[in-house]
Amino acid sequence: MNNMTTSAQDGAPVSLSPGRIALRRAFRHGGFWIGGTIILAIILIAIFAPLLTPYDPSVQSLSKGFVPPVWAKDGSWLHPLGTDNLGRDYLARLLYGARISLGLALLTVIISGTIGTAMGITAGYWGGWPDMIINFFITVRLTLPVVLVALVVVALIGSSLWLLILVIGLLLWDRFAIVVRSATQQLAQREYITSARAIGSSTPRILFREILPNITGPLVVVASIEIAHAILLEAALSFLGLGVQPPDVSWGLMVAEAKAQLLFRPWMIAIPGAALVLLIFAINLVGDALRDVTTPEGKA
Amino acid sequence: MPNDTQILNVQGLSVQIPVHGSMLRPVRDVNLEVGRGETVAVVGESGCGKSLTALAIMGLLPRQAMVQSDALRLNSESLAQASPKRWRQLRGDQIAMIFQDPMTALDPCYRIGNQMCEILQQHRKISRTDAMARSRDLLGKVGIPAPEERLKQYPHQLSGGLRQRVMIAMALLCEPELIIADEPTTALDVTIQAQILRLLRDIQQETNIGLLLITHDLGVVAGMADRIVVMYGGQVVEVGTCDQVLAQPLHPYTEGLVRSIPVPGETEQGETLGYIPGIVPRQVGELSACGFVDRCPYATDICHAKSIPMRDADNARLMRCILPTDGSARDPAVWVLPDETTAQGAATHGSTPCPKF
Amino acid sequence: MPEVLTMRDVTRDYSVGSGFGRKQTLRALRGVNLGIERGTTLGLVGESGCGKSTLAKILLGVEAPSSGEVLVDGQPIQSYDRIERAGLIQPVFQDPYSSLNPRMTVEAIIAAPMHVRGESGRKTQTRVRELAGEVGLPGHLITAYPSQLSGGQRQRVAIARALIGEPEILICDEPTSALDVSVQSQILNLLHNLKRQLNLTMILISHNLAVVHHLADEVAVMYLGQIVERGPSREIFDAARHPYSDALLKAVLPPRAGVRLPKMGPEADFPSPVNPPSGCTFHPRCPKAHALCAEQMPKLSGADTAHSYRCHFPNNVKDEECPRV
Repeated sequence: MNNMTTSAQDGAPVSLSPGRIALRRAFRHGGFWIGGTIILAIILIAIFAPLLTPYDPSVQSLSKGFVPPVWAKDGSWLHPLGTDNLGRDYLARLLYGARISLGLALLTVIISGTIGTAMGITAGYWGGWPDMIINFFITVRLTLPVVLVALVVVALIGSSLWLLILVIGLLLWDRFAIVVRSATQQLAQREYITSARAIGSSTPRILFREILPNITGPLVVVASIEIAHAILLEAALSFLGLGVQPPDVSWGLMVAEAKAQLLFRPWMIAIPGAALVLLIFAINLVGDALRDVTTPEGKA
Repeated sequence: MPNDTQILNVQGLSVQIPVHGSMLRPVRDVNLEVGRGETVAVVGESGCGKSLTALAIMGLLPRQAMVQSDALRLNSESLAQASPKRWRQLRGDQIAMIFQDPMTALDPCYRIGNQMCEILQQHRKISRTDAMARSRDLLGKVGIPAPEERLKQYPHQLSGGLRQRVMIAMALLCEPELIIADEPTTALDVTIQAQILRLLRDIQQETNIGLLLITHDLGVVAGMADRIVVMYGGQVVEVGTCDQVLAQPLHPYTEGLVRSIPVPGETEQGETLGYIPGIVPRQVGELSACGFVDRCPYATDICHAKSIPMRDADNARLMRCILPTDGSARDPAVWVLPDETTAQGAATHGSTPCPKF
Repeated sequence: MPEVLTMRDVTRDYSVGSGFGRKQTLRALRGVNLGIERGTTLGLVGESGCGKSTLAKILLGVEAPSSGEVLVDGQPIQSYDRIERAGLIQPVFQDPYSSLNPRMTVEAIIAAPMHVRGESGRKTQTRVRELAGEVGLPGHLITAYPSQLSGGQRQRVAIARALIGEPEILICDEPTSALDVSVQSQILNLLHNLKRQLNLTMILISHNLAVVHHLADEVAVMYLGQIVERGPSREIFDAARHPYSDALLKAVLPPRAGVRLPKMGPEADFPSPVNPPSGCTFHPRCPKAHALCAEQMPKLSGADTAHSYRCHFPNNVKDEECPRV
């Protein structure tokens, strides 16, 4: 009778962290499964590309140019997706292209995420003039047309993969900053932040122990959107000839190189295009699922 | 004061809500009657189902909630099968609702006058000028100074007390027969609370409407209600007149509640207060025992064995408990339990009895 | 007994924007003088906007006063660094749903003040468990997250976190008003026991006079950033001098049969702290207001006694003792 303190879910020493609960819920979410499987498959393909194809994606063999894919007339299993105008195996290019597309997206999001989160937390936690300054930067950034700025920078300095990563990373932090800023503002009102200050916590402790873990939900969602964004941006820049440069290969570059063949060999543009669509679709599915499971409305 | 004309008659109201695969039953078999000119208070703690009951009566529960009732009658019109269109006609016209937080219940984008006129014009054939005039009169009636100017203001320009007065005026616009007030003063300061309660009661007595007051605050109930309906775990556990229930609570839950509240002038400073041990259980599945059994200091084997039906007690009261109906066999000391874990230091004053009243 | 906490003429101004960048001053505290003796509990009563939360924030060192000084153990509060201050003063907040970090376990939350001091060994661990027991948390909940606890359990966690550093002063800001009635009394019992066992000095901020009556030895009534009456709890509840204290007392609705609504509450609305009324700030709402009240701010009467108040026409005082004479 005196057990005034038995918990609602009663007795059982269940103590899953909120993150684990969200993850658990994610695994019951259809979109998370579908999207996650596709992304995982693409990541595995990117990692194990050398094992999946005997060809080097950049070795040319002019005599074997424009071999049609296996389903077309004259196609063969030797080159399942055929070859391009320079006789490079198209499947190999697709597999290796996944490496650049994914790796570049991840690295840019790490850069932009770090910048945006730092700015957002600073603005949201301190408010006042730091907030005004950071808001100014966000506004300035929002007035810049991303593709044009990236084009100009790449055109002026010259194109390299690392420059591309840096440029995209330095351009895509705006959404991180905006979302993190408003999430931090809300948290800063919470009494546990005041409590943390009252127990003498240092500012870094408050930022990293109290605030950061509680904004991972929105952070992960924004990150998924921005990865998709970065992949598309890279594809666009490559398409315009200022992105990934041969002999490197990315899906965007493949689309760009195939554009001349649009009317004659449509699969050359359709295959990397479809790969891009599939990847972006999967990332968005996962992003949606993460948003579903991290919003409080979804709580049991 | 309550006469025989019933405005609201609810019999066997149940609400079920599917949540993550299981079926929550936050309201089980609730009976409620409100007469003309009567104030009925539905009392209970958070999660007892009182607010959902109110929303079910207003037809405002979300689609996924399954509402069943044997009877849901407003003025002898059965609403159990009413169409959404009929509900919209009734709401704001014959039944009006006053919410806890007037800031969120008023639309911040529209002037007070616009919001009031819209309600009137939706339910009555009335010109805008007349609607404005009536709105202004009502604002004056609920004690708002300079009503003419308030009509042109936005909700954020008013203080909390004024906003709640506006809500009351809006509820009165179409001369409803029943007002449901869900925690009308919980968001307000104590001195403002007294004003608003007084206003509500005066208006109710003047217009002879029925008032269904949903609250957790037994003090508010004591000041306002004619009858009390105590809810626990989705069930009504006790019904009686206000004075009966407060002076001699029959159900152990009510008894525990009444004994856990400090009252200046009655309880001594620092006196160990009674409390109800345990917490409210989740409302899932059919009840196979008394809903209160885990927290009840009087619980017996019978209470664990079967669900307890409502039964008549003396003086036209109802209780859902097997204890004697005359209130005997109660012991105030059972509520003053030593807090088990602080007991080592606090045992010395653990048995101060609660005052008799 | 020595005063463990002293506030001298503390004011706190905020600048609030209005319209196009025009700044106005909101004076949340206007010259608050307050002394608290060790081991006593002071109930700080007032309604929203009266400045009691600002006062709490200043005591916690989360905000600094605009002028005046706050002394803890005879030393200015600024002279302590954040960890020393945390060892002296600890808060318990109103809403246990927002005062605990949802991403930390109960154990980590209670131990946080020790971690901040750099103590995280086995000793801290055992102390956390001991303390959890003392505040009535069952052992198996120590690894739980706040979302798995009930409101009362969360408030117990908050109390344990406040106590682990063995502070001298506990500031409880509406510690029970977010809780259900039956849980409220458990927390009140717990606070009372802790206060006796640990000889805590407590500041209890509440609008609920029944709660204040239950725990406080002394009561200070605040209105619009000023303490308008202060005295021993018994005297305030039996014979309040200030009409505002009187109104607050009348507004208490005990859950008893036959109780009816109080005859009068102050009719006018709460004034804006940006633009406070002249003279006695309570006069627009005061049932006893005279012309004098609108002109002149009443002086503090009985400043050298235990029971002081600011009113020209106090209740329960013989005419010849009236301060205006």
